[in-house]
Amino acid sequence: MIGVVEASRLTEPEREMEIQCELCPKMCVIQPGQSGECRVRINIDGVLRTVVYGYPCSLYPYDPVEKKPLFHFLPGTRIFSVATVGCNLHCKNCQNWEISQANPEESQAYVCSPEKLVELAKERNCPSLAYTYTDPIIFYEYVYDTAKLARQAGIRNVLVTAGYINEQPWKKLLEYVDAANIDLKFISDDLYRRICSGTLKPVQNALVVAKASGILVEVTNLIIPTLNDKPEQIRQLSHWVKANLGSETPLHFSSFTPRYKLRHLPPTSPQTLDMAREIAISEGLNYVYIGNILSKEGQNTYCPSCKELLIERSGYTILKNQLKNGCCSRCGKEIYGVWR
Amino acid sequence: MTRRKFIQKLLKAGSTIVISTSWLAKKTVPRKFVRAVRLGKYPGSLRPLRDISKQNKWSG
Repeated sequence: MIGVVEASRLTEPEREMEIQCELCPKMCVIQPGQSGECRVRINIDGVLRTVVYGYPCSLYPYDPVEKKPLFHFLPGTRIFSVATVGCNLHCKNCQNWEISQANPEESQAYVCSPEKLVELAKERNCPSLAYTYTDPIIFYEYVYDTAKLARQAGIRNVLVTAGYINEQPWKKLLEYVDAANIDLKFISDDLYRRICSGTLKPVQNALVVAKASGILVEVTNLIIPTLNDKPEQIRQLSHWVKANLGSETPLHFSSFTPRYKLRHLPPTSPQTLDMAREIAISEGLNYVYIGNILSKEGQNTYCPSCKELLIERSGYTILKNQLKNGCCSRCGKEIYGVWR
Repeated sequence: MTRRKFIQKLLKAGSTIVISTSWLAKKTVPRKFVRAVRLGKYPGSLRPLRDISKQNKWSG
């Protein structure tokens, strides 16, 4: 069992049966019989319980790692992906809202303990496990226990997350994580509040803490027309990434598809994505990618030193990999990433 | 000041100090932490593990 701190009992006697979940910045005060905003952490008789521990709604052993997206982590490998229902954010643009905004009682799940999950990944020769699709923050205990076992079994752990978590449980979890793709959805607190029911600061903090912990960090920014597609917003975001996470941090600009509560907005145009990539490169970022759309150059990795094409991609497929022991085959520059 | 009044004042001051110290201590003591515990039974429906090779539609 894990000994991390996620929740505290309120000390005032009249509120003794209430619980405050301290996992994420929402800090939900949960009445007996109720759940937090994530729908999966509930108060039963004054005890905080996780409904989804060992009950993933989605398991898929054959995702390409590039789909997460992770372009600097074991390229060309398959990653065993796992998710439960629920999310602590309620993004109006959510692509997976059918599971992220679902109640556990309305959903279907597998019975799969952490031990079983690691066993399945081993059986299928998956070098890594991804906690993804919804936000792994809300199935924290399940991720933690599985990641610990996976590491013992030589399997790497990857988080695909919005990074909306408090620092203490985040640091504890990162001890067993090898890589993360973290969304930086907006560089505006107002947009975080209006579109995602979250705030900007905790996400920025999670990014900085993850980077400082030494794991591989890649950042995704979904470009939504009319919300965050202005050159100035992209410049500001790129500048923040460079200043706080370093120029070697890969940044993915993803194309928006009209879904959930933002169906009235158009999809992101390829021109906007190209423009975003150019701005981020001009701001000094070395690895800038375009996602959810085919792009001739926007999915390739180039050496930041000699500009040699190192990894050529088409969609999730690797067409060419010229890296030699994680270094540029032409000039020898070390390329940020986990390559084996 | 009589001896009785002096003792009364002393007791009053003493009890004020004790009450305020214990109030402050209660506020500053770390809260009792608990971790989320696994729920025995899933509230939704269950499906067999043999389905897992089917491609899903989720992004990320």
